[in-house]
Amino acid sequence: MSSMIELKNVCKSFGETEVLHNIDLSIQEGEVVVVIGPSGSGKSTLIRCINCLEMLSSGELIVDKIKIPEERGKVRQIRLEVGMVFQQFNLFPHMTALENVAFGPSKARKMNKAKAADIARDLLDKVGLADFEDKLPGQLSGGQQQRVAIARALAVSPKVLLFDEPTSALDPEMIGEVLDVMKNIARDSGMTMVVVTHEMGFAAQVGDRLIFMDDGKIVEEGKPGEVMKNPKSERLKDFLGHVKHH
Amino acid sequence: MGFEFSVITESLPALLAGAKLTWIITILGIVGGMICGILAGLGRIAGTASLGEEPHGIFKPLSVMTRYISGGYVETIRGTPIIVQAMFLYFAFPMLVKAVTDIERFRIEALTAAVITIIFNAGAYIAEIVRGSVVSVNKGLLEAGMSLGITRFQLIVHVIGPIAFRRMIPPLGNQFIISLKDTSLFIVIGVGELTRQGQEIMASNFRALEIWLTVAVMYLIMTTVLAMSLRKIERKMKIF
Ligand SMILES: Nc1ncnc2c1ncn2[C@@H]1O[C@H](COP(=O)(O)OP(=O)(O)OP(=O)(O)O)[C@@H](O)[C@H]1O
Ligand SMILES: [Mg+2]
Repeated sequence: MSSMIELKNVCKSFGETEVLHNIDLSIQEGEVVVVIGPSGSGKSTLIRCINCLEMLSSGELIVDKIKIPEERGKVRQIRLEVGMVFQQFNLFPHMTALENVAFGPSKARKMNKAKAADIARDLLDKVGLADFEDKLPGQLSGGQQQRVAIARALAVSPKVLLFDEPTSALDPEMIGEVLDVMKNIARDSGMTMVVVTHEMGFAAQVGDRLIFMDDGKIVEEGKPGEVMKNPKSERLKDFLGHVKHH
Repeated sequence: MGFEFSVITESLPALLAGAKLTWIITILGIVGGMICGILAGLGRIAGTASLGEEPHGIFKPLSVMTRYISGGYVETIRGTPIIVQAMFLYFAFPMLVKAVTDIERFRIEALTAAVITIIFNAGAYIAEIVRGSVVSVNKGLLEAGMSLGITRFQLIVHVIGPIAFRRMIPPLGNQFIISLKDTSLFIVIGVGELTRQGQEIMASNFRALEIWLTVAVMYLIMTTVLAMSLRKIERKMKIF
């Protein structure tokens, strides 16, 4: 098995404050990694480093054999292979659902309009939104917007998908529909996924590995079931106690 | 000496010719000013996170330079009266050319000077409008675009541009109207635009009421046409 993503001794600082301390992490092709941890522990920063939305302060990142910072000019190539889904959806407000999804294939992958639209229709169908292709994001519910956003990320056929708390901005009754879409992707496509979430059920069901971060470090990792059942550190015990009560 | 309607009909051809010139200067000025303003507005935020990610290598000092040049241009124009700009371009600039080169008979036509003045003047204010709306585009949308693997150029044209443009329309309408009215100041360099035509007719027949009323109505019609066209564009764009 080959590593899809590798972080070697990665540090990240914003100004004077270091928020990631010497992170070492290797993620295999097809692996689903769930990242949990308290607010401010560096989860977002970690996954944003993987698609170069944040540049490493030191250390090395290797994504699909492309090395950063050595091959800095290939950042765009990394992004083509690494899609991202955001907490706030971030759909383009001036494009319909279909246009949002077709945008990547037609602009980033330079496909012709018709083919890009075909791909987009197919994906909207997969996320259960075939009837909404002409709607603007403002006309969709949060759950629907997030499903469009997932389809948009999938449309450029990346090898990796990053999710940064994809259900945190959603009303409770919409969380399920988004998690279901994510489960289907994990099950059917064999996509490498890194998911920051506090949905422990999701972690247990589809996660191959659970990572607990605190204070910019990876504190514990392992099979989700085992980590959840037998947390070693006090901090994780504490944290799991809090999540369960919400 | 009451209100004489015949004064208006008699002076109408000359006033209409003036209005036509006013309109031409305005349209050329607005089109040129948009190009100028978009370049300078983007120039002022070159290399910042508002246009995607920060550059590296040679592009870093280049973007700093671009910011300084654009900023200098905008502040110079905003800090001086348009009438001084027109005077400078029409009277002083040819002398400057004469002083530093050996071109003897360098002249700028009054009309050309008027158009160039409006272009650079409107451009500076439009630059600020462009900068303000681009900076206000939600950074999350830029990140969503970048994470799809599109180029910076595509990001600006397809994501930042359309979203920012929609926010620009109301302040642009304002600026277009100001520019149209500013053309009346070119009376000082002898351009035969509407205000000057009115002034000349007035000087020969002393019918201030009829002439200035007609002139005012003509300006009002032109500014209304500008405002309505912008509102039409605004309505055509998708609501979001
Ligand atoms: N752009 C930035 N500039 C300065 N500091 C930042 C920036 N982004 C994040 N930080 C800081 O880095 C630390 C880690 O932030 P990060 O967003 O990665 O945490 P997180 O684990 O995702 O938290 P949350 O659960 O609240 O999303 C925090 O202390 C945060 O204040
Ligand atoms: Mg976060």
